[in-house]
Amino acid sequence: MFNHWRRIFAPMLLCLVLFLTGCNLGPPPSRYAEVQKETTQRNAAPAVAKDATQGGQFNKFFPKGGAGYQVVAAQEKKGFAEYKVNKDGKNVATIAITDTTSIPGSADKFKASEAKIAGFPTVEKGANSTEVLVSDRYKVTVSSKDPSFTQADRKAWIQKVNLTGLSSLKS
Amino acid sequence: MSKPIFELVDELPTGGLTVSALRSLDFVVPGEWNNLVGFDNTIRAVTGETDEALIQQIGERAITLFNDKSQGYQRALWLYETIDSTSGLLGTAALANKIGQDSFLGFLTHLTPKPEKLQSIDLSMKVVTELLAFCQINGIPGDSIGDFLASLADYGGESLMRMAALVCFDGLIPLGPDFAEKGLSFLRGSSPSDLESNASYKGIQELIPGSNSGEKLGFVTQSFDSVKGWMNGFVGSKGLTPQSVANNLQGVIEFSQDKFDYLAALLDMSVKYYRHTGIQTLARRLIERAYAEI
Repeated sequence: MFNHWRRIFAPMLLCLVLFLTGCNLGPPPSRYAEVQKETTQRNAAPAVAKDATQGGQFNKFFPKGGAGYQVVAAQEKKGFAEYKVNKDGKNVATIAITDTTSIPGSADKFKASEAKIAGFPTVEKGANSTEVLVSDRYKVTVSSKDPSFTQADRKAWIQKVNLTGLSSLKS
Repeated sequence: MSKPIFELVDELPTGGLTVSALRSLDFVVPGEWNNLVGFDNTIRAVTGETDEALIQQIGERAITLFNDKSQGYQRALWLYETIDSTSGLLGTAALANKIGQDSFLGFLTHLTPKPEKLQSIDLSMKVVTELLAFCQINGIPGDSIGDFLASLADYGGESLMRMAALVCFDGLIPLGPDFAEKGLSFLRGSSPSDLESNASYKGIQELIPGSNSGEKLGFVTQSFDSVKGWMNGFVGSKGLTPQSVANNLQGVIEFSQDKFDYLAALLDMSVKYYRHTGIQTLARRLIERAYAEI
């Protein structure tokens, strides 16, 4: 009797193991598993284009504060610069200038847009950002960080950026 | 290669000793820190966006930026993690020293360094770490030193909580109310070899500007000097004392008031606030940049 059980034990265990592994009882892969894999393999493309404009070149085009608003430098990396717009010590918006050559396709959305701000094509991004594209390359983004900073405020602040100056920038 | 950034943020705890100790500092910086954890949660909180396709795009760009070593974000993470793991060693040394002083094992005090000098070096290492991590993450924003200092001074949220914890746990508790002056004078009286034998320094020294430990000591001293005013102002404006911090830690950490000195060492060993809030800061900056760039 005991020998009989021993003889079928190993095949039963094998079947159980195969069944369990076939069932895939682990957690589902993350929504970011694909991008994690792509950006960590040996010849992954760099995140920032080699010839992207240094963020420091953008600083002079950002507006200064005034009328209760302070404009504070926040980030300056290759291809990117960001300033914070604060009111009474509270952050209400951010202004960013991006070199779109690092993100292929990020300038395409402007082609379909007929809307303009100060003569430059503009789009809304999500619910909280307004963007314009300058000289087919540099993107200016104003994002609301507080409900008090409306779409109208975003459009007004985009025009405080020296867009004409930015459009003549040769990297 | 570090763990994926989205996993690091997803795995941040919502409870436990580090979180409780930080919450005990809510009275110092009320409303600034709500312990935001979870990668997608952070995207939603930072951008205010709810569209899932947009969230996916933002997350992917943030991960792409983090995974490119040349962008400096992994170095910032390494700094935050290293300083917390090496200050744990400090806690062990300080506790051994403390036990040595209080018991018949008095000979231990001859084997381990004096806690105050060690605590001063550790405090200055944390200041330097913050400065270095800030530059790795944000670059050196603006066109002048004034712009850069304004950027640094604009701390809010979890970054401000990290600085509050620095002042309270690594300044006031181990070194007392005049920790800033004490710290600076210890640094000025230190030699390069004092630095070289310090575990926190050994952990991060390759990223400290300077071609030898003498020059690096100079950078560390200068950095400390430049934030001394801010630290004193922070303590003064909020009326902070070692006692008020310790009172708020009752119920979080078991300690008795007459064993106050043990508290500093216990905090060093068990409260990893640099790593915890550092990961939160890193995630925010990545997501801010990703959201603007896409």
